[in-house]
Amino acid sequence: MAVFLSNGLLGGGQQKEPATEPSTSAKLPSFVPTDLLNPIEEDTSTSTRHIDPADANQGLSEPPTFTLDKDSMTESRSFVSNGLLSGAEPVDTNQDPSARISMLNTETTPASRSFVSNGLLSSTEPIEANQDQSPQTPAPNTETTPASHSFVSNGLLSNIASSTSSFPMDRPPQASSSTLRFNVQARTFSGKAVYIRKKSKLLTNQPTQQLSSQKIGKLLDVPIHRLMDELSAATAARLAALPSREIDTKNAAPEDTLLVDRYRPRRYVELIGSERVARDTMTWVKMWDWCVFGRKKGKKRARDGDEELYDDDEYHRPRDKKLLLLSGPPGLGKTTLAHVIARQAGYEVMEINASDARSGQIVDDRIKPTLEAGATIGSKKPVLLIIDEIDGATGAGDSSATFIHKLVQLTQQKSKKKRNGQKNGPEVKKPILRPIICICNDHNAASLAKLRPYAYQIRMSRPADIHTVKRLRTICDAEGLKAETRALGTLVGIARGDLRSCLNTLQFIKSRSDEVTEAMIRRATAGTREADNTISSVLNSLFNPMTRKRVKELGLTEDQEGRYVSRLSQEIDAVGKESSIATGCFAHYANLRQLDANFSRYEKANEWLGVYDYMTSAMYSEGEFALSQYIPYLLIPFHPLFQERGSARVERSQADWEHSQTRRTNEEIFKSLAGCIRIASGKLGGSYRQFMSSPVLETEFAPYLNRIISPPLRPVNSQIVRPEERTLLTRLVNIMASLELRFMQERAEDGQLTYRLDPPIDVFVNYDGKRAVDITVTRYAVRHIVAGEVEAKLTGQRVDIVERSKPSFRSFFGSSDKSNAPSRTRLGDHADGPPSKRIKVDLADKPPTDFFGRPIDLTKITVANQAHQKKHAAKCFKISYRFAEGNSAAVRRPVKLDSFL
Amino acid sequence: MSLWVDQYRPRSLDDLHYHQGLSARLRSLAASGDFPHMLFYGPSGAGKKTRIACTLKELFGPGVEKIKIDQRIFLTPSKRKLEVNLVQSNFHIEITPSETGNYDRIVIQELLKEIAQTQQVDLNAKQRFKVVIINEADSLSRDAQAALRRTMEKYMSNMRIILCANSTSRLIAPIRSRCLLMRVAAPDSDAMGTVLDYVARRVGFDLPPDVAGQIVEDAAGNMRKALLVLEALKMQSPDLSGNLSIAKPDWETYCHKVADLIVQEQTPARVMEVRAKFYELLSHCIPPTVILKTVAERVVERVDEALKADIMHWAAFYEVRMRVGSKKIFHLEAWVVKVMSLYKQFFYGMDLTGFD
Repeated sequence: MAVFLSNGLLGGGQQKEPATEPSTSAKLPSFVPTDLLNPIEEDTSTSTRHIDPADANQGLSEPPTFTLDKDSMTESRSFVSNGLLSGAEPVDTNQDPSARISMLNTETTPASRSFVSNGLLSSTEPIEANQDQSPQTPAPNTETTPASHSFVSNGLLSNIASSTSSFPMDRPPQASSSTLRFNVQARTFSGKAVYIRKKSKLLTNQPTQQLSSQKIGKLLDVPIHRLMDELSAATAARLAALPSREIDTKNAAPEDTLLVDRYRPRRYVELIGSERVARDTMTWVKMWDWCVFGRKKGKKRARDGDEELYDDDEYHRPRDKKLLLLSGPPGLGKTTLAHVIARQAGYEVMEINASDARSGQIVDDRIKPTLEAGATIGSKKPVLLIIDEIDGATGAGDSSATFIHKLVQLTQQKSKKKRNGQKNGPEVKKPILRPIICICNDHNAASLAKLRPYAYQIRMSRPADIHTVKRLRTICDAEGLKAETRALGTLVGIARGDLRSCLNTLQFIKSRSDEVTEAMIRRATAGTREADNTISSVLNSLFNPMTRKRVKELGLTEDQEGRYVSRLSQEIDAVGKESSIATGCFAHYANLRQLDANFSRYEKANEWLGVYDYMTSAMYSEGEFALSQYIPYLLIPFHPLFQERGSARVERSQADWEHSQTRRTNEEIFKSLAGCIRIASGKLGGSYRQFMSSPVLETEFAPYLNRIISPPLRPVNSQIVRPEERTLLTRLVNIMASLELRFMQERAEDGQLTYRLDPPIDVFVNYDGKRAVDITVTRYAVRHIVAGEVEAKLTGQRVDIVERSKPSFRSFFGSSDKSNAPSRTRLGDHADGPPSKRIKVDLADKPPTDFFGRPIDLTKITVANQAHQKKHAAKCFKISYRFAEGNSAAVRRPVKLDSFL
Repeated sequence: MSLWVDQYRPRSLDDLHYHQGLSARLRSLAASGDFPHMLFYGPSGAGKKTRIACTLKELFGPGVEKIKIDQRIFLTPSKRKLEVNLVQSNFHIEITPSETGNYDRIVIQELLKEIAQTQQVDLNAKQRFKVVIINEADSLSRDAQAALRRTMEKYMSNMRIILCANSTSRLIAPIRSRCLLMRVAAPDSDAMGTVLDYVARRVGFDLPPDVAGQIVEDAAGNMRKALLVLEALKMQSPDLSGNLSIAKPDWETYCHKVADLIVQEQTPARVMEVRAKFYELLSHCIPPTVILKTVAERVVERVDEALKADIMHWAAFYEVRMRVGSKKIFHLEAWVVKVMSLYKQFFYGMDLTGFD
């Protein structure tokens, strides 16, 4: 209907369009004007079907029959907008077919809302509205919102539409009248009339319409003229302030702010450093747009048509990298980058840094509520969390209460929660739908180990010195400092690209003079510590001489260069992990190529390591922490001994760490073996206890036990083994059962079943991954037999214990029945230990046998029966008490009940 | 069912097979009623604990064989929990304080005081005192030993202490002077042969004398090891015939390999290779001093006479450092480098110091 209006208004200009359309258009229906004046109605009146020129272009892809869906409606709307805009631009929407594709799934409601509000608000700025329109139309992902937006604004402003300019006022009556119509008539090209029924459900949209019209009043609660006044007043104030600020920078400002703050980049384009890093960060933040803002900002996605590239989850968040980890040396602008990008992408920033407490509790108390709410209090923008200096947060160790652990849990849990959520209903916690950026210096920090797999990692590196120098130059110019480029270059070199420290130095110089020379910079930076100290960098400076470049940067003389002790000790001290450095030195020194004919240097190096170890262990065991200041000096000798120009970079060896890991697992195995021995000696009256102590267990017991429990057995059925093998097997089973060693069935990776010794004490005969030659690897079948027998034995023992408690109970009651005594003795060493479990009552006279014809003993049953009978008999029984049986042996004698009565 | 070592362990002083003189002395001590604190020392596997158990039986009668084993938890001042295994009967208690490492002092102090302050109540008991056996006394820390010395005197009326150690050298002199020292020497090969024969007879098979000889030779005075070897041998080749090889513990074989590597070649690459082997050994929880000792003994076997003394000297030197220090691998490697350097110097027949 609206369409028709627009066409009517535009007249002949449009008529050309159908002429250019392909022949298929013949089948398409032409539209028939049904209503002239309800332009607003377009939002709800989806029943209208029209074919506009734009549609005609699409004829090929669209079926000739009508579909009364939202899509067609939105198209019509977009067409209207163009029509009203200007007669010269009817083709606008036709330009890009993909534009329409993107429109197909837009929804009506947001469109209609934005339509009204924009229309009214943009009235003061007609030109801007037009500008909005024109760049966006060729863009592939033009959506209806801007289109309708521009429509109204233009409609209100254009002179041609003088008649329509009043339509906001007469909208209500129009709207109500349109709802009364049931159907709409349209006509095909062949002239056939088509009646289209109005979709009744769309009537529900009617309130929206009224609501939006109500909104007008709300939105403009400040009258427009007042707004205008305010605007002009503000501009006037700004203009007035301008000259005075220029004066300010000359005298007042320097005292006020640091250079660092004054020249902190505020916009994306002002960022310095690798553009790729900034771009990557931006891309990652933008990946959240769909989730955070809905479709509005997902512009790139549609253009590239590569939605599948973005691996989204159900909330359209990045699938597995839900965190961003930004790492790099200090002073490169990581925090600034994060802030700028967050602001640029339309977020409100919430920052947590080292000044806040960062225990696991904070995640629950502060982070989670904010992220779940989606915005900070009093702000309309969605929130973006920046966790600065995260490497200082708690996170190392296995505790689940650390900050990092909780954070990871927070980001990861929801997929799980989601699944539950569908079952449990709405009370389940909301997933976190806001991006989190973590910033750290050392991305290898131990505390971040858990975070790394879930984080998209971006590393910032030092930008090329030229860029930094250029930026410094701009700042110097703005500050009125005269600086030589050479001096600035030196400054950047000394600071290793740390822009913040450069600026601080400049400020320091500026406070004294207006000129920056190299000499001044040298003076100002004298004695500054090396900024970036990691274990590997220290190792490198221990094993490599200073690079020529670095020497030049620091402007050292040859004599100064030769003095390494204080320089290296400072470096080692700054890292503070002497033990790791010592291990690194130890791991590395023997890899060097240098010729050392008689190991004299090796001896010296080991001497120093020995002294180092002596000192540190003295320090820790005696608590002599005053020694700690001397520790760094014990590692410096590696420099004169092994420094070598151009040698390979020092790689931190993992050997020591791996060794400590395997050692820990093996210690655990020994511990469980010791536990087994304890149980065994508890059961057997202390017989194994001599093996429990440490050197004997490892050096004697473990290797020989392994041999004892691997006798050469043939894999045959346990029923038909030879007697000598039977005794062997019995003994093996007994030993294993008493030590609680078992063969556990397991499925290997290739799907084969294997038996594993548990606890796996066989690792102690495996060196270099090879088994000792004299121990035969028992075959699966053998282990199967042994495992079965051990299991039977253990069950038998358990039954035994139960039974043993019964007879004692019975004898207590003065049972005279001795006939059962022999049958109660432990079942022979033969493997059919557990038959008592399989007892069946045989009714025949012959002794009962089980399925295999072996006799079954009936102890259990008889015991039970007899106990029962005895209860009835209950002739004479004594009761005695035992008191405090145990170590002290304080009082321990039977007491008769009489003494209590 | 336990291993033969346990099953045929002598239970009373009369059953002991060797060191009859010592047994007689212990018996008369137990009978005298004036039983002193004692320190049993001697090499591993000589039968110290067996002898202690026998002495206890002599003192208190068969009641000491009713043993129960449990764990006790001690709390350090820093609220760390220490678990200590206690083996106890009504008359004695057996602890290994070195299980807790540096915290052994706490165990000694608390446990001993607690025991010492309770008197024997059982009027039927043969002795008025209780006995505390402290195993691995030579690995007691200095603090623990200091804690022990006064306790030993103060609670003499209620308690006797029997220390069990490999050597007396690491016990402080005040403790040594408070104890009656009992040296349990390693049995000679005849005695070991007798014991092996006895066990074989009890089990019910014939032990060929040459096999017994082999085992005895291999065990080098360690009775426990000999019996374990015997049982392993019997398990692996039940008829004890044919070409029997006495199994060495795997770590020992491996240590010998390391020694061979050191003697064969002296290069930085070899140093790295040896280091990897040391790591492997250490990760199998073999005590580093044992490693050093085994490797050093093997190296000494294979080098020239002139070097032997030096190599052993340095082994001893680095063992001390290793005990003091905490990074064992540093000292092991330091020794290896030292040995390689010595070997090279000897090989080239001159002192190369200051050569490059």
